[in-house]
Amino acid sequence: MLRLEGVSAGYGRIAALAEVSLEVREGELVSLIGANGAGKSTTLRTISGLLKPTTGRITLDGQAIGGLPPREILARGIAHCPEGRRVFPHLSVRENLAMGALLRRDRAGIAGDLEAMYARFPRLRERSGQAAGTLSGGEQQMLAIARALMSRPRLIMFDEPSLGLAPSLVEQVFAIVRDIRATGTTVLMVEQNAMAALQLCDRAYLLETGHVLRTGTGAELLASPDVRDAYLGGAI
Amino acid sequence: MDQALQHLVNGTVLGGTYALLGIGLTLVFGVMRVVNFTHGELYAFGAYMTYAAVSLLGLDFYLSLALATLLGMALGAAIEFLLLRPMRRADIDSTMLVMIGAALVLQNGEMWAWGGVAKLIPNPFPGTPLVVGPVSVLPLRLFVLVVSIALLLGFWLLLDRTRIGMAMRATFQDPETAALMGVRINWVNSATFAIGSGLAAAAGALLGPVFMVSPTMGDLVGLKAFAIVILGGLGSLPGATIGGFALGFVEEFAGGFVSTEYRDAFGFLLIILILALKPQGLVPAKERIG
Ligand SMILES: Nc1ncnc2c1ncn2[C@@H]1O[C@H](COP(=O)(O)OP(=O)(O)OP(=O)(O)O)[C@@H](O)[C@H]1O
Ligand SMILES: [Mg+2]
Repeated sequence: MLRLEGVSAGYGRIAALAEVSLEVREGELVSLIGANGAGKSTTLRTISGLLKPTTGRITLDGQAIGGLPPREILARGIAHCPEGRRVFPHLSVRENLAMGALLRRDRAGIAGDLEAMYARFPRLRERSGQAAGTLSGGEQQMLAIARALMSRPRLIMFDEPSLGLAPSLVEQVFAIVRDIRATGTTVLMVEQNAMAALQLCDRAYLLETGHVLRTGTGAELLASPDVRDAYLGGAI
Repeated sequence: MDQALQHLVNGTVLGGTYALLGIGLTLVFGVMRVVNFTHGELYAFGAYMTYAAVSLLGLDFYLSLALATLLGMALGAAIEFLLLRPMRRADIDSTMLVMIGAALVLQNGEMWAWGGVAKLIPNPFPGTPLVVGPVSVLPLRLFVLVVSIALLLGFWLLLDRTRIGMAMRATFQDPETAALMGVRINWVNSATFAIGSGLAAAAGALLGPVFMVSPTMGDLVGLKAFAIVILGGLGSLPGATIGGFALGFVEEFAGGFVSTEYRDAFGFLLIILILALKPQGLVPAKERIG
């Protein structure tokens, strides 16, 4: 479905990605793990069009999408739920969800999906008129996920959805990610919490300083000694 | 007391146009982080275009006001496209310098095109004031107030109730995430600058017939627009509205009770006073759009 071939990208003269190649197949849940500054967020930002690749090819179902603006990427069915939630603090919860559906024109479909989000996240319904900035961290993460879903993506990318959440909420977030995949949406997830990410995913890529160091199934990476040493603290 | 009531009415009329000016300026700052030094010149531009349409082309007065506002929006869109868009990644100081340059060019252009002599814009309203109890108000001024308030309301509805308004607010708050939602940031910037400029031009078109039109009229008004925006808190729309009316009242009351010659100075005194007491302006940051 999504394929990156030798993709490099960076910020000004700083190169953050060096020839990254990876693939996400239809229906898969793929994790991207790695240390701070490894280039995980940069990978997602390059896919979603916030950054333009300097070299390499990005294709979706064989069609080149590298360098397209974010709007075009979203229109092709890739949603990006960014690092740090990034809800619009002064928009209401309902408006934040409407922002997720900005490119859609099917009023009835949007209304149905809004109802589905409220059913799935009852807290959001209770707070639908409230400014998103007044929500708790966990609620904001739910809102960010729901907002990304409002575009009805075929592929959804999560950047550290569990960051800064209490353990019980972390569990809940991973359960939601699993549910999303179960309904047929393909998932590409960046996680610091390598242990959880590897257990959850079908396949994973380990990034280090802007390139892919290792790839395999979640179980393979969990068993790999250098992954255990470097990212799981050796203590499993 | 009666005199106070009269000043209240006059202050409201002035305040409505000041609010338009302030909102236009604060909107551009809130969305684009651009300090728009051309704002006062767009005000003058609106007044001159009204003059041109009414006096030179002989067009209908109301049509001329609308035309001047639309031309102001077009000029704003052109400034955004030609000067600001290429400077999207530049720092705020460079953008400021370019905007100061643009303001000078506009002002000298006005001087060149219209000459230094002040112009009068004829208007279709009777010169006899409407008298209600102790208060008298010229029909033209009443018209200015009604249109200002209609524009303020229309602008607020646009921002609060429409998709484009929501996209604009989202862009003020987080341009990158707005882009991820499919917002065309360039488009929002153009629209924002065009609307901000249109509000300034509308204020000029409305006040042009009340006062005189001269090439330097943009200077003082530009300064006042900054005063209003700083008074209300940079980037705050409610703040700019309140600030606009506050400045109108202060000028009117100080002009009436203290000294007509120094009426403009009192507005700036108020700003110094408020900033000394509340450095963040009247409306605190959390209620802001940006
Ligand atoms: N806006 C930026 N400007 C300049 N350099 C940046 C910027 N954002 C990231 N970088 C650099 O790019 C590299 C990759 O960063 P990236 O954010 O992709 O890492 P990450 O794997 O997501 O890390 P984290 O786990 O901390 O989120 C890092 O060296 C980082 O310092
Ligand atoms: Mg990151």
